[in-house]
Amino acid sequence: MSIFPPTAAETTTAGTIAAHAVSASKIYVTGDSEVHALDGVDVSFEKGKFTAIMGPSGSGKSTLMHCVAGLDSLTTGSVFISDIDLSLLNDKQLTELRREKVGFIFQAFNLIPTLSAEENILLPLSLGRRKGDAVWIDRVIDTISLRDRLNHRPSELSGGQQQRVAIARALASQPAIIFADEPTGNLDSKTGSEVLTFMRQAVTDLGQTIVMVTHDAVAASYADRIVFLADGKIAGEMFAPTAQKVLDYLKHLGE
Amino acid sequence: MFRLAVKMTVARTGRLILTSLAVILGTAFLSGTFVFRDTINQTFDRLFADVFRDVNAYVRSTTFLELDFGGEQRAATPISLLSVVRSVEGVTSATGDIQAFARVIGKDGEPLGSEGNGPPTFGSIASADSVGLWSVSEGRLPIGPTELILDQATATNGKFVVGDTVRVVAVRGSREFTMVGIANYGDISSPGGATFALFDQPTASEFLLQPGFVDAILVEGDDSVSDEQLTQRIDAALADDLKLETLTGAEITAEVQGQIKNVLSIFSTFLIVFSYIALGIGAFVIYNVFSITAAQRMRENALLRAIGASRRQVSRVLLIESTAMGVVGSLIGFGVGILLSQLLSALLKATGFAVPSRGLAISMSAFVNTFVAGVLVTILAAWLPARRAGRVPPLAALRDTALDTAGNLTRRIIIGLTIMALGGVGLVSGMRDAPIQVLGLGVLGMFTGILVLGPAIARPVALTLGIPIAKLRGPSGVMARQNAARNPKRTSRTAAPVLLGVALVTAFTALAASIRSEIRDTFGNAFSGDIALTVDARGFGGIPLSITDQIADLDGVAQVTGVGFTSVRLSDPNEPPALTQAGAGQRGVFVQTINPATITGLFDLGVTEGDLTSLGKDGIFVAADRATEKGWGIGTRLQVTRIDGAVIDAEIRGFVSGETSFANYVASREMFADTPSPIFDAFVYIKVAEGSAVDEVQTRIAAITSDVGIGTLLSKEQFIDEQAAQINQILALIYGMLALSIIIAIVGIVITLLLSVFERRREIGLLRAVGMSKSQVRTTVRWESVITSLLGAVSGVVLGVVMGFVVVAALDDEGNIAFKVPINETLSIVLIAFVLGVIAAIYPAWRATRVNIVEAIATT
Repeated sequence: MSIFPPTAAETTTAGTIAAHAVSASKIYVTGDSEVHALDGVDVSFEKGKFTAIMGPSGSGKSTLMHCVAGLDSLTTGSVFISDIDLSLLNDKQLTELRREKVGFIFQAFNLIPTLSAEENILLPLSLGRRKGDAVWIDRVIDTISLRDRLNHRPSELSGGQQQRVAIARALASQPAIIFADEPTGNLDSKTGSEVLTFMRQAVTDLGQTIVMVTHDAVAASYADRIVFLADGKIAGEMFAPTAQKVLDYLKHLGE
Repeated sequence: MFRLAVKMTVARTGRLILTSLAVILGTAFLSGTFVFRDTINQTFDRLFADVFRDVNAYVRSTTFLELDFGGEQRAATPISLLSVVRSVEGVTSATGDIQAFARVIGKDGEPLGSEGNGPPTFGSIASADSVGLWSVSEGRLPIGPTELILDQATATNGKFVVGDTVRVVAVRGSREFTMVGIANYGDISSPGGATFALFDQPTASEFLLQPGFVDAILVEGDDSVSDEQLTQRIDAALADDLKLETLTGAEITAEVQGQIKNVLSIFSTFLIVFSYIALGIGAFVIYNVFSITAAQRMRENALLRAIGASRRQVSRVLLIESTAMGVVGSLIGFGVGILLSQLLSALLKATGFAVPSRGLAISMSAFVNTFVAGVLVTILAAWLPARRAGRVPPLAALRDTALDTAGNLTRRIIIGLTIMALGGVGLVSGMRDAPIQVLGLGVLGMFTGILVLGPAIARPVALTLGIPIAKLRGPSGVMARQNAARNPKRTSRTAAPVLLGVALVTAFTALAASIRSEIRDTFGNAFSGDIALTVDARGFGGIPLSITDQIADLDGVAQVTGVGFTSVRLSDPNEPPALTQAGAGQRGVFVQTINPATITGLFDLGVTEGDLTSLGKDGIFVAADRATEKGWGIGTRLQVTRIDGAVIDAEIRGFVSGETSFANYVASREMFADTPSPIFDAFVYIKVAEGSAVDEVQTRIAAITSDVGIGTLLSKEQFIDEQAAQINQILALIYGMLALSIIIAIVGIVITLLLSVFERRREIGLLRAVGMSKSQVRTTVRWESVITSLLGAVSGVVLGVVMGFVVVAALDDEGNIAFKVPINETLSIVLIAFVLGVIAAIYPAWRATRVNIVEAIATT
């Protein structure tokens, strides 16, 4: 990836920032009307931190995540993942970037139904024909405590177990940043808190970087920092959140 | 409910087109062959109407033999009657007509036109009379024994210009003529790719037939009386004992039109049978597509059920949808078929069988047939999936995805194997004495059995086939293997067209290989000569007997014998004569003509009783099983009626086994020595004298045969190969069928893959998100396609070998046909299946890479 020389903006942030967006705008044109899903967003995500993105439906939080993760492209502005300007990459390079530098945890359909839990965990590595760090992968599997289920198919796992496998997959290649899109949206509160605990551990104990989109105040309270989005703009942020603080803030934001 | 069905149909245009594609394909073949047949029929109708435009009456012999494939051979008419006909009041002109064997030798020494199965090569009369069928377009008419003219197409193909010397071979041997002109038939250069050498009447009679004879007399009237009256007058003028009849111009036109239609109908019936098979295999694709879409819409249907739709209503939505597809597909298919018929014509033209174009004939019946068959097949194919859709429990609306599962596998295996076993029994008894229907049922049973078994074996077989792919292609290969196995029912239905085609081809190839080696053994033992001269023209032309005799006189030739064929009518005086219409022809039988003086020691006809030298002018040998069937013995007398009407009181003087004789009856060439419809040899067997080199003798023989431009000289080995290769013609038809099922199979696989890609777009989105590249996505789809295709090929080969083995075992009473698995052919079939899988995956794989990641993973 070093074929892309770092820009001035990057060099200033290098070392502490895992990913950042500069005046990110995304405009959807449907017929005559334009929808500004993102409207000049500047945001950075620190390394080794757990950041949550919150906001009402249609605030642009999913769009922001998709663009920063290299799944979607911006209309204007730039996105960087560890010093790499995503707008300069073609599809092949973007794919390789996602494979090597980014981890994903989605709300549902996280796993390939035809592959076993272990094959799912190793998928990004094997797609790149890489072995990965065996010691690290062992540690990840221990952390999610699913060693006895490695040969099971997703359909034989519970919802919480499936999400844990998804977390392990995101961690397996030691990516620069992990994006989670409502990872607990389909789970009951007990299983959900288990999953969130694992994500917290991944940041605290394993030093990973996680950005999570959620609308659940309890889930967001597991994060180090919350970025609030409304109408495609940054509406504010909060450090060391608690569920109550978040709910209060959201109430205030809604007014 | 109807409005809902319409809305749901319209809302899924993509699926509508995909499903219709299967219908379009099936109906296109059907309409293509219908339109092609109608077009050709119309062309020849108009052609002969043109040709016989000026003919008011037609005089010919009433004695004739009906031959196989709708042909007939008629006795000759004396040319002396021309003056009798001309003297009839109301006749302005009359001329003789001949259509006999003649072969034009090209400037390079090679004969023009094809030997054997291609369009025939004719010699005929070019006459100055207006009733002549030919009109001179360049030069002038031929006069005298050294002049001829050629039809336009032959002259062009042979690069002959007026003034050239042209060599022609006919019954009287090989001669050179001066070409003085070029002629057209009606208003076209040559009918149906046949070649024509045209002479004046005396030359034509002498060279092509028998001096003083023609095939028929063409008559033009002065229009003072109707054709019917003119015909009656001519009939009255001709003596009764001449055995002649007179037809009106309209009658002979209709008869010739009918004859050509008859000949063509064999060809077109064959094509139409193929088309129905195509539609049948297409029905399978349609059934598969409906099954997949029904499964994909399970939640939607369950929702309809949950909010109060009855089972019947849910089923009806699908049936209405299928009817719509049937209608749309059949309409488009009919149109595509018209283009296909043009393609077929072009193909024929390219292979030398030019069909004069007289415009496209699109008949109402072709349309109705295609449309009704297309719509019916579609609705039938959708019936089961529609019923299944109705049975979906309303609760399924709440479930995530519902795959169409394979149900009870054990039951499936038991039922499938039982049906296959019954089919095997039918196959065996069909091969022995049971009627052909039993054989058909046996084949049907085998196929039904394997189709029932399909979903049960699809998963293990696909997984096994996928092992090397998973090993070699990494995660893409692993996923391709799993994808091929994840929906066994779907995979097996998709592979079914490949399976059907491959199984048929393998069975026939195996059977053919076994029969071929049997033929090799038989002929290897029967033929003890060194060289064989063969000509591939049964019943029409061949090697003139004079050539055979010339070869016998060559230096270094020890022994020569010729074998030919002719048709006769055979009647058993002890049997009451069959009721025949006055003037109708009699069914002919093939007689093998031999030279009893030279055949012994050169070719073993498999004589089981009697001595061939006892044949003489009135002796006959009969195949032993035929004689047993008829209750004939040595000394039984049979009446042999030759084509010229002469009746010979023949006696059975021996029997042959029938394995190395090409006909059930054997007679000496002496029996036909004095006929005006001369006989030819089809094979000449030659033994080289001791001390002479075979290749030197062969060169000397070649000097004679190349002079006449006919026949192929073969060594003993080549001759035996050639006999064995005859079985290949049947194989060619079977390979045609394989090609057809391949086309349908490709479409089937494409449709299934597209539906699967659509169904798995979420999964593909996820894979792309976590780092699967586009080329890896393509690899996954491609190998899934290859595994599916190979699944069909491999199970098809296994089924085909089993069927071939059963058939060979059943055929082989005496235990001398060894069963042979055709290794090379089987390998090529598997290779074809592999390529087929790769080709079928191209478009679906591209579609898979177009999946929008964000849309695919968006939680809805």
